[in-house]
Amino acid sequence: MYWGGNPAECHPRHFTKYALMPKSKFLPNGRKDRTVVLVDIRETKSVKAADLFLQVRPGKDFELLTILRALLKGHDVGDREIAQTGLDRAVLEDLLSRMKASKFGAIFFGMGLSMTRGKHMNSAALLTLAAELNSFTKFVAMPMRGHGNVTGADVIMRWQTGYPFGISFNRGYPRYNPGEFSTVDVLVRGDTDCAFIIGADPGATMPRPAIEHLARIPTIVLDPHVTHTSRIAKVHITTAPAGIAAPGTAYRMDEIPLPLSPAIDSPYPTDEQVIKQIRAHLEQKPNWLPDSQQTLASQV
Amino acid sequence: MLRIYGGKVFDPANGINGQVKDICIQDGRIVDTTQAATEIDARGLIVFPGGVDVHTHVAGGAINFARAMTPEDHRRTQAFIRSQTRRSGLGGMAPTTFATGYLYAGMGFTTVNEAAVPVLSARHTHEELNDVPIVDKSCLVLMANNEIVMNLMEAGDYERAKHVVAWYLNAAKGYGIKAVNPGGVAAWKWGKDSKELSSPIAGFNSLTPGMIVQQLARIVDDLGLPHPLHLHCNNLGAPGNIATTLDTMKHLEGNRVHMAHSQYHAYGGDGWDTMRSEAAQFAEYFNAHPSMTTDTGAVLFGDTVTITADGPWQHLLYKLTGRKWGNLDVENETGCGIVPYTYKPSNLVNAVQWAVGLELLLLINDPWRVFLTTDHPNGACFWRYPEIIQLLMCADFRNACMAKLPAKIKSRIYLPEITREYSLYEIAIIMSAGPARALGHRQKGNLAVGKDADLVIYREDHDISRMFAQPRYVIKAGEIVIDDGDIRSTPEGREFMVQPEFDPTTEDFLRPLFEDCYTMSFENYPVELDRIENPTIQDCSRVQ
Ligand SMILES: [Zn+2]
Repeated sequence: MYWGGNPAECHPRHFTKYALMPKSKFLPNGRKDRTVVLVDIRETKSVKAADLFLQVRPGKDFELLTILRALLKGHDVGDREIAQTGLDRAVLEDLLSRMKASKFGAIFFGMGLSMTRGKHMNSAALLTLAAELNSFTKFVAMPMRGHGNVTGADVIMRWQTGYPFGISFNRGYPRYNPGEFSTVDVLVRGDTDCAFIIGADPGATMPRPAIEHLARIPTIVLDPHVTHTSRIAKVHITTAPAGIAAPGTAYRMDEIPLPLSPAIDSPYPTDEQVIKQIRAHLEQKPNWLPDSQQTLASQV
Repeated sequence: MLRIYGGKVFDPANGINGQVKDICIQDGRIVDTTQAATEIDARGLIVFPGGVDVHTHVAGGAINFARAMTPEDHRRTQAFIRSQTRRSGLGGMAPTTFATGYLYAGMGFTTVNEAAVPVLSARHTHEELNDVPIVDKSCLVLMANNEIVMNLMEAGDYERAKHVVAWYLNAAKGYGIKAVNPGGVAAWKWGKDSKELSSPIAGFNSLTPGMIVQQLARIVDDLGLPHPLHLHCNNLGAPGNIATTLDTMKHLEGNRVHMAHSQYHAYGGDGWDTMRSEAAQFAEYFNAHPSMTTDTGAVLFGDTVTITADGPWQHLLYKLTGRKWGNLDVENETGCGIVPYTYKPSNLVNAVQWAVGLELLLLINDPWRVFLTTDHPNGACFWRYPEIIQLLMCADFRNACMAKLPAKIKSRIYLPEITREYSLYEIAIIMSAGPARALGHRQKGNLAVGKDADLVIYREDHDISRMFAQPRYVIKAGEIVIDDGDIRSTPEGREFMVQPEFDPTTEDFLRPLFEDCYTMSFENYPVELDRIENPTIQDCSRVQ
């Protein structure tokens, strides 16, 4: 089941390599042994791949998820409430009976769910639905992440700081507050006097005040390409593209790390080499950190 | 280079019980004599070999998922502020990697064994272990729910299964074999569990958990791995599960086996209302079978987060608590579940669990076979070990704690009748010498000449918990890393692994199966040795 995503265009290998086509011990006929459901606000190219398409009214994902949870538990839900989602009772009951009857259900959700009205509340409702379905059969849910190695950044930040993103180190230890410490918020407020950007192009996606702030301050970009951000940066260091001309590791959406083997050579250094050089130069400077008086006993 | 003089030394591996003895260190090892550049005056202090944790969860996909699930705990926990000598981080229920190294070293532990690694994500585990400073590390590979291995076992192809297990261990750069709820995690992919040793596993025709544990234990011995099969039994956490646990131990008679976190496997009763301790039954059987070791997985009251490959158990815990639940299925290899949990003294089930952990440590006669763990973070966080040591050493303190539990507890536990108190010598066995021996680390938990100079120096203190939580010095590989609570240096640790031999045709056998069963290519699958900091390969020698 895909919810609020368009894998046919955004994750083109997802159907063939992972979710729909593979044949296996218990699904010997591949696609024929699976039921595929798509929930979205409009007909995308992914509809062709689905057995069942539920067109939810824009902004009503949370309501639909909540109604599904209620019906699953056998609570009464009024026709008016169902109608506001743009779907009817028979469709929802059919969906739920298929979900409960499945041997192993998986829900993949995209930014059409997690970045529209309700945002993280939508994701939470979907994850709760998946958890509650386990009273009937095995069900899992997983977000469809964005481009590049976003999962890798998330994974490493978590093991080093405890948090995935939106982290501030300005008190000397990691603090987390999305909406306050997220990159976009820090830039919009103008709370930073330098920016160092790797493997991202905020100049293409962020709101105007954030981009204007990037143009005002010393912005340093490491990128194989000329990007919107590199054009407004004070410094752009061209680096070798990871996975093509630079080795490394990328974390898949399910947090499994894959080694990257470069296919070609590049005249440019890798991101890692550049950062190590910058770090080596910084280490030449007098250490500005105070020698903390904090002892271990006070930690526990 | 370094001489420690005048200290009372507790070195059970060499039968030294509190004698005053000088210890000399050169090039990271203990030596006879040295021209010491540095001297430590240890007069009036107590010297132990550095602690060894035989079973903990500090690195990899599962604990990292737990970190993501518990930002509310990170917020309230004490933070590590970066300084010139250390990285920033957070302690708490699921500490960040750098903080994990500081906290372990800070209480005198110098070697840790990460107890549950899926081969598919072993690369991730090693990347995290690289970021755990100071301590030496090793990790155990999950093998009791791997469908390729299970198919071979079902088909009766023991030899092939053995070579495949050896290949996996090489691929993962692991140190040993872990079995978690054999067959039960595979069954969880069908939404089922596997609780009976002799009943077939969901998705299989004839394979049973009993067959898996017997064959894995034999494989581990045939491969000559330094550490025995590390077993998390079926039916964890359930009232009445002592029957399953005893049945499992009977299946393994004559084999080496390490029974992980036995506290969770020694319950009587037939439901939550009637749950009681069966620590005495466990201890009686265990005492009579010297080829077995165990760690307790003791419980302390308070907040924690539970993490285990035992997926069906975690689903049950989620339904019991109504709290957050994370579930990971790791393709055809294993799975894992994560649920935050609070152990409350007022809760009768939790109170029984608290007692069982201590009872096992007190009723098992031979301290060389029972080790101090909390199955971090499942029973409690590892940095609370000093509280358990105090409970073991002071019967008065134990009784005072027991008095705060519900009165109904008395008839369900053995603790009130137990008067045994641990000596410092015995503590040095269960926290260092014993687990080092069980892990096959000949260089660890031992202060003889030639051994690794990992040791901890305590101030003698009537407050046992404080004594063990705040060592005066901690020395790792001959270097002073902790000086009175101050992190003096943060050297990189080593990582231990084994490379058992396997038949060269094993890869030809596995390659086509990878096309069928895995989403990762065969060539990408094994962890590259050069990703690991200071790899140290331990010999395998056939066990008689
Ligand atoms: Zn464990």
